[in-house]
Amino acid sequence: MIKAQNVYKSFNGGRIKVLNGVSLEIARGDFAVILGASGSGKSTLMSVLSGLERADSGTVCFDGMEISGFNDKQLTEFRRKYTGFIFQQYYLLSHLSVENNVRLGADLAGNKDFREIIKAVGLEEKCKRKPSELSGGEQQRVCIARALAKKPQALFLDEPTGALDEQTGRDVLDYIVKLKREQGFTMIMVTHNENIAQMADTVIRINSGRIEEVIKNTSPKTAYEIGW
Amino acid sequence: MVVSIKDSVKLAGISVICFCAVFVCTFFINYCVDAAAVADSVTQEMSALYQGQLATAKFSCALSGGCLSLIAFVMLVFYIKLYIDGHGRQLGILKAMGYKNGEIALKFWVFGFGVLIGSALGCGAGYAAMPMIYSQMTVEGLTIPVKFHFWLPIAMIALPTLVFSALSCGYARFALGRDVGSMLKGEIKKSKALSDKKLSEQNKASKTEKPRAFLLDMGIKTLSSKKMLVFFIAFASFCFSAMVQMGGSMYDLNAAAMGPIILAIGLVLAVTVMMIAMTAVFNSNTKNLAIMKAFGYSARECAVTIFTGYIPFAFIGFGVGTAYQYAILRVMIDLFFKEYSLIFDFDVAIFFITLAAFTVFYAAVMLFYFLKIKQISIKAVMAEN
Repeated sequence: MIKAQNVYKSFNGGRIKVLNGVSLEIARGDFAVILGASGSGKSTLMSVLSGLERADSGTVCFDGMEISGFNDKQLTEFRRKYTGFIFQQYYLLSHLSVENNVRLGADLAGNKDFREIIKAVGLEEKCKRKPSELSGGEQQRVCIARALAKKPQALFLDEPTGALDEQTGRDVLDYIVKLKREQGFTMIMVTHNENIAQMADTVIRINSGRIEEVIKNTSPKTAYEIGW
Repeated sequence: MVVSIKDSVKLAGISVICFCAVFVCTFFINYCVDAAAVADSVTQEMSALYQGQLATAKFSCALSGGCLSLIAFVMLVFYIKLYIDGHGRQLGILKAMGYKNGEIALKFWVFGFGVLIGSALGCGAGYAAMPMIYSQMTVEGLTIPVKFHFWLPIAMIALPTLVFSALSCGYARFALGRDVGSMLKGEIKKSKALSDKKLSEQNKASKTEKPRAFLLDMGIKTLSSKKMLVFFIAFASFCFSAMVQMGGSMYDLNAAAMGPIILAIGLVLAVTVMMIAMTAVFNSNTKNLAIMKAFGYSARECAVTIFTGYIPFAFIGFGVGTAYQYAILRVMIDLFFKEYSLIFDFDVAIFFITLAAFTVFYAAVMLFYFLKIKQISIKAVMAEN
């Protein structure tokens, strides 16, 4: 599904080297966690794998397409068709209602059933509210609905529970994994939380822009079984 | 504290508007005073033209000075509001620590600094242009010498600076009157929570109503969330239309030297106000645009969604500007120069040239922001948090 080979990425004209020859492979339908400390390059790796950014060198392939060679227009088209995002900071459109935030994703996929998704995340009664009128957990559920409404083949999550309390964080993770099982999309999550990594099928440990190890987890835990 | 001289430097738009207002007022007020000093020498034959020139100077001074001061004030209020919204957390911390609203508001006096710079430059430029203006506003047989009046630069520089500093503090005091909690949370303004009954009604309605497409809704909400920007864009278009056409018409009215001045002021005002307004639209939507791009919306779709709604208002502003400049020149000729056989008709050629130039200008501004949207990345927005 996703294959990266010898990927390099740096910033500030090459002065800050973030990714130093990353190679990895993520299978279709996999739940992969990219685990690393702050500054290890995990978020940059996610950006490169998801087509938010281009690598300086190396190749990134998604379903056989070499997205690392795509221009801006092609990357836009790629993200439009294949990816969904959930961020730690939510990035909801503050002046739009829950419903219209979800439509941001739904309209791209021509998905007319977006109200079903709002219902599925338990926000049917709050679909006319603005994000500022929701709790952190509810806002993150809007993000989930927004991402899933575009029916992505790969869902990228950047510390999705970083701003949530334990109970809400567990509920959100449990909910995302449940949806993944139902819909079969590939999930790539970036986190520094070792406990969350226990839920994944594959754990990719990154340090100083290099892959340290890739662990296949034969018995992933549920969100309520892991420590916090 | 939170507000510094550096922040006031960002008020370049207000400086430009103050420059234009003070520039026009300086030479016209000086002219009025100097003309009044030689009133005893005005003969019966000279009287009509003398009165006409004096009335033109007073009328232009009051109109441009008054309008531009009002616009500068509106812009100042808008900027202070944006500043307080953007620095809500820092200001909220000060309030939480026990600073009174008045104490914090007093620091906003520095916003008068932009006015000081604009007024000082405008006053200097006004004095530089004075000989040329006097040579245009002649009365046959009468010599109106250019004299320096020490109180004029004081009034033109100190007065606006003091007034605008006071207004800045006053408005800041008003705008800071929000609860600390909402400021610390970084909320832009208190959003009124809907009652359960109203929400229930809305939800019922939403199940039957045809939902509006995301891009359409986004465009409408962007437009309605900052109505002041609609006004600024319409005003910029108004300035372009009115002053470029008026500048062109001056050639027909034997006031050729006034033409380039009016035209230059119009273009400077239009470009400044338009860029400030468009930059505010862009800046207030950067995060939204970044997330839209991350999800796969193209830069073109983003630009069209955010900026298209302003186009009708820009052309309405242009239309009003066209009518305004014709009406002003018509009134001035009919009231002040009725004894002179000045021929003045609506200039269709100038209108179409100005319209074409405005369309090119507006398209160039759109292209500039389209290119800026292309450069937005979600990574940059994430790094800011």
